[in-house]
Amino acid sequence: MNMLVTGAAGFLGRRLVRELAGEGLRVRCFLRASSKTDDLRSFVGDALWPQVDIVRGDLMNPADCRAAVDGIDVVLHAAAGLTGSSAVMFLNTVVPTRRLMDACIEQQVKRFVLVSSLGVYGAASLKKNSVLDESCPVDEAAHLRDPYTYSKVVQEQAAWEAHRERGLPLVVIRPGVIYGPGRGALSNRIGLQVGGRMLRIGGGRQLPYVYVDHVATAMRQAALEPDVVGEAFNVLDDELPNGKSVLRMYRAAGKRVRSLWIPQCAIGPLSSLYERYSRWSEGQLPGVITRYRSDSMWKPLRFTNAKARQRLKWSPHLSFAEAFQRSIAE
Amino acid sequence: MSRPSREIKQPEGCTPTLLRVALVGCGQIADAHLQEIAKLRTAKVVATCDALRDLAMQAAARFNVPAYYNDLATMLAEVRPDVVHIATPAHTHFELARQCLLAGCHVYVEKPFTQNADEAETLVAIAAERGLQITVGHDQLFDPAWLDLKSRIARGEIGTVTHVESILGYPISGQFGSQVAGDPRHWVRRLPGGLFQNTISHPLYRITEFLMDAEPTVIADWARRPGLDFPTELNVVLRGQTVTGTLTFSSSIPSQRVTRVYGTTGALEVDFDGQVIRSVGPAKAPGAFAKLLTPWKQWRQAGRNLRKNLWRFVKADIHYFAGLKGLSKAFYASIAEGTSPPIEPNEIVRVTQLMDRIFGSARARDVFSSKASLPTLPASVSPANSRTDAGNGVNAAPRELEVAR
Repeated sequence: MNMLVTGAAGFLGRRLVRELAGEGLRVRCFLRASSKTDDLRSFVGDALWPQVDIVRGDLMNPADCRAAVDGIDVVLHAAAGLTGSSAVMFLNTVVPTRRLMDACIEQQVKRFVLVSSLGVYGAASLKKNSVLDESCPVDEAAHLRDPYTYSKVVQEQAAWEAHRERGLPLVVIRPGVIYGPGRGALSNRIGLQVGGRMLRIGGGRQLPYVYVDHVATAMRQAALEPDVVGEAFNVLDDELPNGKSVLRMYRAAGKRVRSLWIPQCAIGPLSSLYERYSRWSEGQLPGVITRYRSDSMWKPLRFTNAKARQRLKWSPHLSFAEAFQRSIAE
Repeated sequence: MSRPSREIKQPEGCTPTLLRVALVGCGQIADAHLQEIAKLRTAKVVATCDALRDLAMQAAARFNVPAYYNDLATMLAEVRPDVVHIATPAHTHFELARQCLLAGCHVYVEKPFTQNADEAETLVAIAAERGLQITVGHDQLFDPAWLDLKSRIARGEIGTVTHVESILGYPISGQFGSQVAGDPRHWVRRLPGGLFQNTISHPLYRITEFLMDAEPTVIADWARRPGLDFPTELNVVLRGQTVTGTLTFSSSIPSQRVTRVYGTTGALEVDFDGQVIRSVGPAKAPGAFAKLLTPWKQWRQAGRNLRKNLWRFVKADIHYFAGLKGLSKAFYASIAEGTSPPIEPNEIVRVTQLMDRIFGSARARDVFSSKASLPTLPASVSPANSRTDAGNGVNAAPRELEVAR
């Protein structure tokens, strides 16, 4: 079976390539002209490298997409923008996905696995402490969210539209916050990182974390497991930490993390206050924090990976303690 | 085809009709336009338009714009805007602005106005012929710090202006710079003046505000950073009858927008990013006392600048794109009142001519010019199929009617 991985040189993509090659599959990596293969090769290892081939191109270019998809059975689409303005995020995430999906439909690939995000849910509209699972609605006011989340929501909408109307054999993976070696385990789910200091919001709230290798194995299953087309899966670790425990583990490992605590009950009113000031001042301080974003990000919720465990026959193979140690080792 | 510009004057006591504005090109700079126009009471944005429907959609959704399009002709026909802001890649400006003018719209074109002076003259002539206003995004001329500098010079603080030094620090490792550096097919690299065509308008018009000569002497030189195969550094000398100017563009220095204006009795320096103005020059004190007086003067100036910016902060008056707001406001007022536009059309053409001459001079002195010359882009390109073009282009050719919302 021939697999195509986009974003193959990235944090998740390279692990996915190794995972698939390790299963004895042929893996084609779609890389930009400027991407170097040295790091990818050393990561995948010489033993598996013969199963990997490289195709270079631009996901914005339909001809490049067609060439990349030619002869491929399963496409695993991990390429996406991570930072930038809304326009930049849409250019790097939504538009390339449309181009790639067009090529996949034209060439009748057997499966299209999309890496989405757990952030696509309308968490702000959920009740406090409720369970966020795959039955929860996707955010209907995603334009009020941060550029990354907005682009991921629209990317998913485009993929579901292609599934419904043009028969794209779609499987969606919605990972939580991906942590791992090189990226660490601090994230804005814990709080705001301002000037080298972490403003920890609350502390006991469950964090929707997932170790990067666990996402790679879930994607492998999404590519290979029968009868999962048309399904979305939340991919999370089994043991989810909270902000307080993550910071404690950092300190226990001898890492210095300066933090300041903001009570959970204060973040809503503070966000509203900031939003009002930003509006009154006509953007003298940009409207990056709003009540809606704050509720979407920091509302206490409970998370589950039950569907992925059951339908994908997948389970995280490392405990949080082990995955955390590996994440901060580098 | 064309229609007369809409009269927006109203009898006293009535709420004036708002100018209906459309934004064409929803890429990097689009948010600034949408954000600043929204602050004005004389206009409202009625449509966004981009060759990439997703881009037009996201801009409309975030700024509460009622309609979005991916086809210019359809948008012009259906929305019939009074004013169109064009914020697309530089090589598309001419054709898109031409279409908007022919549709009877006043036009605000982002910098650089066009790819060359011929195109600039044509657009200005079409606007004049049809009684329409046209302007270019020389927005830093309306920045509060620049207006303050001009007012201090007008009060005679530095005597008669003799020389202007303008600096633009543009790290190639920045978000846009790295895109240009990493993609040999990037549209910026195929402009006649390459990276500089897209960037030097700002430092150049800060010089031409004082250097009024129609045809000053121009000496320009460009160079490449090691590892890059296109020019990334530019130095320009301009010599007029009474005023001279130097322009420095560097991708090797930290990001900065600084202009220093020298006069017969002193010099003032404006730092746009810091929103400060500094008086520079030797202290008028003998020997070692000068070494005390200079830091003393600088300390007092720093205090004044701090107090001023604190007060502006309290008043919520510090905005990165304040100049864009000021220029748009003045442009709309000139449309409403039928007065001269905030930037004279002749000045728009003069700056474009100077850019042509700068690039011509630098190219002539470039020993690698044959290697550097890339095929230039057609003015009417529809950039939907190129990653680097995409995102702020617009389909120029009429196509099947498509209304997205």
